[in-house]
Amino acid sequence: MSHTDPKENLIGNFQAKDAPDYEAVLQCMRCGFCLPTCPTYVLTNRERSSPRGRVALARAVAEQKLEFSEAVKDEAFFCLDCRACTTACPSGVRAGEVMEICRTQANAAFPASGMQKGLREFILEKMVPSPALMETSMVPARLYQKLGIQWLVRNSQVLKLGPKWMEKAEGMMPKLSKPLRLQLPDLVPAQGQKRGKVGFFLGCVMTLMYPEVSRQTVRVLAHQGFDVLTPKNQKCCGAPHMTEGDRDTARKLASENLDLFMDLGVDYIVTDCAGCGSALKEYEEILAGRADHGRLEAFRAKVRDISEFIVEVGIRTEGLQPVKASVTYHEPCHLCHAQGISAQPRKLIKAIPGVELREMNEASWCCGSAATWGLKFHGESQQVLDRKLGNVQATGADYLVTANPGCHLQLAWGLREAGMKQEVLHLMELLGRAIPE
Amino acid sequence: MISNTAVQHLIEHLGKENVYVEKEDLLVFGYDSTPGVHHLPEVAVFPTTTAQVQAAMALALRESLPIVPRGSGTGLSGGSVPVQGGMVICLTRMNRILEIDEANLTATVEAGVVTLDLFNAVAAKGLFYPPDPGSQKTSTMGGNVAENAGGLRGLKYGVTRDYVMGLTCVLADGSIIQTGGKSVKDVAGYSYRDLLVGSEGTLGIITEIVVKLIPPPQDKRTMLAYFSDMRTAGEAVSKIIAAKIIPSTLEIMDKNTINCVEDYVKIGLPRQMAALLLIELDGHPVVVAEETEGVQRILKEVGAAEVHIAKDAAEAASLAAARRTALSALARVSPTTLLEDATVPRSRLADTFAEIERLTEKYKLKVGTFGHAGDGNLHPTVLCDERDHDEMHRAHAFYNELYEMVLSIGGTVSGEHGIGLAKIEYLQRQIGDGGVAVMRRIKQAFDPDGRLNPGKIFAEPTTPAQNLEEGFRVSH
Repeated sequence: MSHTDPKENLIGNFQAKDAPDYEAVLQCMRCGFCLPTCPTYVLTNRERSSPRGRVALARAVAEQKLEFSEAVKDEAFFCLDCRACTTACPSGVRAGEVMEICRTQANAAFPASGMQKGLREFILEKMVPSPALMETSMVPARLYQKLGIQWLVRNSQVLKLGPKWMEKAEGMMPKLSKPLRLQLPDLVPAQGQKRGKVGFFLGCVMTLMYPEVSRQTVRVLAHQGFDVLTPKNQKCCGAPHMTEGDRDTARKLASENLDLFMDLGVDYIVTDCAGCGSALKEYEEILAGRADHGRLEAFRAKVRDISEFIVEVGIRTEGLQPVKASVTYHEPCHLCHAQGISAQPRKLIKAIPGVELREMNEASWCCGSAATWGLKFHGESQQVLDRKLGNVQATGADYLVTANPGCHLQLAWGLREAGMKQEVLHLMELLGRAIPE
Repeated sequence: MISNTAVQHLIEHLGKENVYVEKEDLLVFGYDSTPGVHHLPEVAVFPTTTAQVQAAMALALRESLPIVPRGSGTGLSGGSVPVQGGMVICLTRMNRILEIDEANLTATVEAGVVTLDLFNAVAAKGLFYPPDPGSQKTSTMGGNVAENAGGLRGLKYGVTRDYVMGLTCVLADGSIIQTGGKSVKDVAGYSYRDLLVGSEGTLGIITEIVVKLIPPPQDKRTMLAYFSDMRTAGEAVSKIIAAKIIPSTLEIMDKNTINCVEDYVKIGLPRQMAALLLIELDGHPVVVAEETEGVQRILKEVGAAEVHIAKDAAEAASLAAARRTALSALARVSPTTLLEDATVPRSRLADTFAEIERLTEKYKLKVGTFGHAGDGNLHPTVLCDERDHDEMHRAHAFYNELYEMVLSIGGTVSGEHGIGLAKIEYLQRQIGDGGVAVMRRIKQAFDPDGRLNPGKIFAEPTTPAQNLEEGFRVSH
């Protein structure tokens, strides 16, 4: 049984602050339905690297049958947090979230000291790829701050970065142009008959690395008949911080975004980043007891992924021009598993005239990106990626469509390295091509 | 405690990556899917060949370690829980499909092949491996054979035993026996194969399996019927069978389960209904059409409240959705889910449901019952909280009394989960002291020193009851 000791500020062998919910851990009935869905289990065939095993470790720590050991920490970070197990679990256990919380515990149990110089230098020096970018020399600094990399560097002792991470990270960087955030007008007006007003949540990776994608998203929204408000002072959604176990910073960011978007008076809050969408939808839990419950509920009720949103309000197809292309669709984990959005992107793809959707096998299997996981576990990530690329290859499609920047980076890099013909497109880029300029 | 030398020896034979002694690894081999049982092994090994299984077993014998075979740990009777510690031999890395023999309609697989992987591999060649236990996406063929696993198709197609043609097995003394093979007929002496099927790892460790394959059905129809009382549903089942129609699936869900599913997925199930039957007919299109009519007629005759027939595969999937979601819906209600597999003659289904209802009331429990009505195999599922001792006590009393009734009408205490740790006492009640004594003698003939999966199926007279929770307790 879980044992609370207020004197020592512990719950079982967990620190009381940000401990996994014991009820949530107890809910696991160990049926093993999660095993075949877990990329790290399939990779290692090691029970402790499975969702069932990880939850059992957390339970043992809560029941004081195990210390919060190095191995528990390792498993917390080895988990991709892809949430495939959440989809598979009959009893509603969210092993990915339990592990996310264990990462926070790991930082408390194994405090890091010092800085890893290489990483910092990489961010600050190598990420400055072109003279054009030097004009906006804010970029590397912003990347560094916003992506949670700053935090990652500070705590880098917790992480075991593989030897090849830096090379890969450099190879993954897309050609950067000006960040979108400062270019987007505060209001892009609806076209045609107006259907409502949305607040656009522009993710950090989107504005910095994929400004063209989000530019298309805004075009699509306007074309669909929505006023698009993009507040310039929006903050990072907090997902990178959650991922790396820094829940305090995540809460701070969440609370600022909550206030900002609730004060906008929009009908919906829409994002084109699956990772951000998933984080925004968790504000209700992250900020539980720290913000007004009604306000959190109201916020949650407004948040939509872009494809979820368009399908819900009904896609306006008038004026769409044909796009002659065969595409296959990779489901981002944080869209299909974390948000349960699987049918909507396909409906959108099929609604675009001229586009042929060729389903790949295992479309909802992780691509091996998973925030910084793809850098920390370079070899394992490559194996997960290879499985995905094989499935892409088999479709023979012209384009690989996805809906999340993390997947986009990893897949584009992987396809390039493998010498494959496919170009990666965000779903909004594909839809954007169907909208006449 | 296993010695360092022994661990080194294992590493030499199996490779470092296939031997685990770290506490965090051992801890997660302490359970399977059975609630309330945990015990740590001293070492866990993952052989990749039959020879490595032999090597590991030889070492275990030398070190006097109990040997517990394990697949994916999805068992529901505690069969792979190492109650007396020792060595867990996990076969999931022996996962090659060695051959699909289209001339003989057989497949030869290693024990660690996942059931659904075999199904898919043979389906790609236009063949069919019917046994489909609920955990088929995860469970291994070795585990299925050791537990004689059933599944939804049991009614028409039988269970794992009906498909096992040959086995390769390592015995307690390290010798290998091969029993059966690709010959369809084989009456040469005792059928060791049939003894090993369902032996729960107590007679030997199965490393290779030859299974029978059949041609797949050409057509399938799915229907769903609702009933306003349980007796009518039971009558429908009996009449379908009596009409000599054998559906491939004939599944039942009671009112509690219907309501739990509706609470969970909100797909508009009629909450007031006492039961639903999911019926699937497969085979030659002409036969399927004829049988569909026959079933419809029977459903009308007995007075089913509603009948839906799927027009296409998509609709079939939506009709089957409620049944597919049953376990998920029930498992979410409470922290602990006790899933039993009482099985009765099909004509006594309605009586059994009535008894379940009476006992639910008597012991003030939350129970959802679903299962394979067509073969009389029910899953009365108690939704409880293992921390509530009083409730757990009542749950056990509930099953105790239910099994009494089940045995009195000629049923069995386990239709498909096995005895393992969970049902030792019930088995004794079902087969009597004489029955247990014979089983013990068989066990002795195979494993005179009691090294293989000790403490399962029947209580060891020589070993005192173990405190399972204590074994789980480890600290730095």
